[in-house]
Amino acid sequence: MIINYIISSTNRLTLEMKRAKGGGDEDGPRQNGAAGRRKGEQQKSDADDGDCDFGAGDLQEDDNDPGLRREIRSKYRDLINSVQQNREDMLRPSNNKLTEVLEEANKLFKDVRQAREAALDAQLLVVATDLGKEKASQLFAEGTAFDPTAFAEHLLSFMGLNRLEDGEDEQQNGGAVDGYLPQDAWHRVARRAQCCVRAAPSFHYMMGSFHAEPPPPKQRTERQRKAPGKEAKRIMPTQLKRMEGSHQEATEKEVERILGYLKSYYQDDPTSPISYYEFVIDPNSFSRTVENIFHTSFLIRDGLARMHMDNAKLPCIAPVEEGEVEAGGSLSRKQCIVSISPKIWKELIEAFDIKDTMIQPLNTHNE
Amino acid sequence: MSQRKRLSNTPGSSQGKRPSSSSVAQEEHDDTAFTQPSTSQVQRGMEKLTPAQVDQKTAEVVQYFLVKDQKKIPVRRAELVKHVVKEYRTIYPEIMKRAARTFDQVFGLKMIEIDAKNHMYILINKLEPAEGPPATRSPTNPKMGLLFVILSVVFMKGGVVRENLIWSTLKKLRVDPGEKHEEFGDVKRVVTDEFVRQRYLEYVRIPHTEPVEHEFRWGQRADVEVSKTKILEFMGQLHEQDPQTWTQQHREAHSASGSSQASSSQR
Repeated sequence: MIINYIISSTNRLTLEMKRAKGGGDEDGPRQNGAAGRRKGEQQKSDADDGDCDFGAGDLQEDDNDPGLRREIRSKYRDLINSVQQNREDMLRPSNNKLTEVLEEANKLFKDVRQAREAALDAQLLVVATDLGKEKASQLFAEGTAFDPTAFAEHLLSFMGLNRLEDGEDEQQNGGAVDGYLPQDAWHRVARRAQCCVRAAPSFHYMMGSFHAEPPPPKQRTERQRKAPGKEAKRIMPTQLKRMEGSHQEATEKEVERILGYLKSYYQDDPTSPISYYEFVIDPNSFSRTVENIFHTSFLIRDGLARMHMDNAKLPCIAPVEEGEVEAGGSLSRKQCIVSISPKIWKELIEAFDIKDTMIQPLNTHNE
Repeated sequence: MSQRKRLSNTPGSSQGKRPSSSSVAQEEHDDTAFTQPSTSQVQRGMEKLTPAQVDQKTAEVVQYFLVKDQKKIPVRRAELVKHVVKEYRTIYPEIMKRAARTFDQVFGLKMIEIDAKNHMYILINKLEPAEGPPATRSPTNPKMGLLFVILSVVFMKGGVVRENLIWSTLKKLRVDPGEKHEEFGDVKRVVTDEFVRQRYLEYVRIPHTEPVEHEFRWGQRADVEVSKTKILEFMGQLHEQDPQTWTQQHREAHSASGSSQASSSQR
């Protein structure tokens, strides 16, 4: 059947070409019998339908009826359209429409007189032979035919399509199998494809490109550097304080402080003398006691405080009045050396029952 | 039928006779500016240069190829000469010979001239793909899956397929060229432009069609990279049939594997 198409198409085309080349003197294989063949047709067989009406004056009278001409042309155009529109249909092996179209064309051809119609005929032939070629290629399947639809179905399963049990949804998809296609569906296919392809692996840097953010190690070193800095600062103040301690100023401050205590105690009760021992001894700390003695001695030296013996022959200390300082300074000044040991200190605490220190220690000395 | 005709040609000439589709031809032009130097010219050129210079230039060519290959776009000789080889063009054949050797021995790749007329080169793997799961955990490119489907259909259908068949098959796989796809985006562009530029597919206009239709064929890269035998094996697995039942394709696959190995000689 297909071979028939090809033969008849080839015949027809040969005829067209002969006519196009040479004048209508020879009738060719087709037995039309019509006397009036167009001369001077110059259309090539694959020309588009155009207004190439050569030499209208050459027409014989029978063939001049414009209505008939138009009708033939319109029929040809219909045939061409039908082939083009119903292509899919006609391709099916079971379909014989192509034969019908060609038979129809044959009938029409008998009445063809002008170049225009012949051109349309040629166009129809081109379209039909194209289709014929495609139908022939369908015969290509020697052995098992390959059905793309079945292939698609199998591939969907391969991709992991989760077909739904529910038949309702199939309607929505226009009959296509519904179901959930997993995210990596195409990756699965790609992986399988890799096995069949000898593609060169793409070149890329193993470690990728660097990040524009500052790398972590830098931050760590900064912190480390800061830490010693803080410690250093902490050390500094204590050092300074210790240095202050050895300075005259620190001593003077302490002396003044003690003088303050002395004065306040004296003012509390000016008549009652302040026992020296009670004043300087700190029952909690021997070293502080020594310091108190040390600082108090400055008061005595500077004439800011005086010591005297009370009725019990125990030393007492009292601040010197403001007005008396100078006067007392030039007169009798006695020096003595005070010594104290922890043993004596303890004995004194016991003897005088000193429970609390009169000179409160400074906070720094507690460290 | 036309595919068989092509395969029966000698491997060397078949590549030259392959027609290039119109859209692709527009971007290529004959590098008339560059003429292949003669052996004596090459010799003279080599004498003027130190081995280190030649090695350096070879390395540059190799790197150019590797980077270009990332997108799988073929390298044109004209570009190569203009951008990389430059003043060393007199020893171009020698550089190419060395580059090919580097690819072969260092990278396990083959540098192949897929278009002898327009002088385009691609890199393919010298080694067969590994069986079983791949050694590297490199991410798979889903586009390869799409391409594979198209190549399979074209092959099983005899080497030439009208585009409508491809589009309708893809629709069944939920890939619609009219709509934007989740994974592939503009499917039509990927298939008719990207794959064509990479030479995996040919998208040729069919004459006399109204409206314009195209047909798909295997591209030059697919011819050398993709194994028809393995596609047939996959088909067999999918359909649970013996691959040999597709006798026509089977025959083609085995004659193709013979010719593709022969044609992968470097020019």
